[in-house]
Amino acid sequence: MNLRRAIAMLLVLAVPALAARGDTSPPFEVIVSPATPEQVVSREFLAEVFLKKVTRWDDGTAARPVDREPGSVLRQRFSDEVLERPVDAVQSYWQQLIFSGRGLPPPELTSDDDVVSYVVAHPGAVGYVRDGTQLRGAHLVRVR
Amino acid sequence: MPERLTREAQRLRPALVLVLAMVLPVAARAASVATAPEAEGAGADGVPLPVEIHAFASQGYLRTFGNDYLVAHSTLGSFEFDDVAVNVTDDLTDRLRVGIQLFANALGEAPGAFAVGVDWFYLDYHFRDWLGLRVGRTKVPFGLYNEFNDIDSARVPVLLPQSVYPLLNREILLAQTGAELYGYIRLHHAGALDYRLYGGTLYITPPSPPVPPPFGAVTDFQVPYVAGARLLWETPLDGLRFGGSVQVLRYDETVALTPPGAPATTVAVGLPFVLWLASAEYVGHHLVLAAEYGRFHATELSRVNGGAEQTLPTPTNERYYVSAAYHLTTWLTPGVYYSSYSPDYPKANALETLEGEFSTTTATDRFQNNLAVTLRFDVNPYWLVKLEGHYLVGTADLSSAINGGRALATLTRNWGAFFIRTTAFF
Repeated sequence: MNLRRAIAMLLVLAVPALAARGDTSPPFEVIVSPATPEQVVSREFLAEVFLKKVTRWDDGTAARPVDREPGSVLRQRFSDEVLERPVDAVQSYWQQLIFSGRGLPPPELTSDDDVVSYVVAHPGAVGYVRDGTQLRGAHLVRVR
Repeated sequence: MPERLTREAQRLRPALVLVLAMVLPVAARAASVATAPEAEGAGADGVPLPVEIHAFASQGYLRTFGNDYLVAHSTLGSFEFDDVAVNVTDDLTDRLRVGIQLFANALGEAPGAFAVGVDWFYLDYHFRDWLGLRVGRTKVPFGLYNEFNDIDSARVPVLLPQSVYPLLNREILLAQTGAELYGYIRLHHAGALDYRLYGGTLYITPPSPPVPPPFGAVTDFQVPYVAGARLLWETPLDGLRFGGSVQVLRYDETVALTPPGAPATTVAVGLPFVLWLASAEYVGHHLVLAAEYGRFHATELSRVNGGAEQTLPTPTNERYYVSAAYHLTTWLTPGVYYSSYSPDYPKANALETLEGEFSTTTATDRFQNNLAVTLRFDVNPYWLVKLEGHYLVGTADLSSAINGGRALATLTRNWGAFFIRTTAFF
């Protein structure tokens, strides 16, 4: 193999790795409770649910978001992609609501299994887990 | 018990009864939930809803250069800059919530003289996302950040721009006792509207009489009404919102004057206020930009010994700021703002106050402009530290009382302030 081909092969292999280095957090799936009929939700609606600006699904069921702990890499990715703000900015938002008496944040759980258990046990619940997590009755929702 | 606390407690007695009526069932349920996590459900679907307790404690230090500001002797440095709060909130059902927050602070108070008070308490029924009702003592929704003026963890700067969010006018702007309607209306492709309508009264400390005792005394003081509204439009551009706030309120005060060698005189004064504020904010990923502009106006109506009412013109003051903050890392957020206060619009309007910085002919007490830079360090999710420096020109918003009784026009024109503050919260 001559030197040019070797360099070209290295580049072909290295470029995806370089691109991926900017985003090492795992992809997530949004899940809802078994009784929730939604199959697709908009990113904006999902953000409003997690910021508790919207508290009901279309059928009137109370929407119950559940979060991961602030240090979770999965939460950071969800916060960046769905809420479009960093986790500490979201925490400041909740501080505003908590100490002005306007609202309470979603519960924060520390594992994908706990999130699945919460979502399955609470009608109207919505959460996010790593791709490939066993859903035990919860179902996926596509975010458009 | 300090006179102020006794008077405050008397005024709040009916409200305290309501608070007890709300708190006791919450406390009882908190105890039962603590011992039996699978006990009765309170939500419509039978799922237990949590009782939550949150608190914060904040200690600050300030040092000013040139003039005393916020507290007496700040030019020597002062630790009289503390806040502490604890609240309990319970979702009794998925539509009904009750909550209460106790708050104490020291800002210019004598050492050890924290005044513990009920900061807010409410019963909140959320009919729909577009309609909710709240009754009790609630924070006033005025501008973008008025409700968070006491919440160090909820913002980047130590001091919100004082031109728009004056700490020393806390009693007027911070909370009202009455009722509020609120709602969030999704407009789909046009964004969303967030509205608040409120009305009630304020419990505030009566002002000092114009002539000190024993020759002058305030014999009656009340706030017959406070009412207002705020409308925020969340535009289709994510993170961009515009808003407008308005508040009307009135003070009624009766002063008895008994100067030596002169007949006794009774003066009844009515002070209707109108305050309005226009707001704009952009929150995008790691960046927060905000700007607000408003005017506060009062009219003085007076009657001497029951005679004809006289209307005295009072100036309209003008206030604005622009600010920016950027989440540089998860633990560091720098911020900056520029604010301006003009007590006498339109004689000293925004342009004139800007020129005032560069003109030695504009009277020092006719404006106050402030450039502030802040570094916020989030040590962990429960503890933060802030450093903040201010460069100020003008003395319009200072207090003669803590500056040796000197007239504001004689105080130091260019001056500064430095703040350190740390807050723990959960």
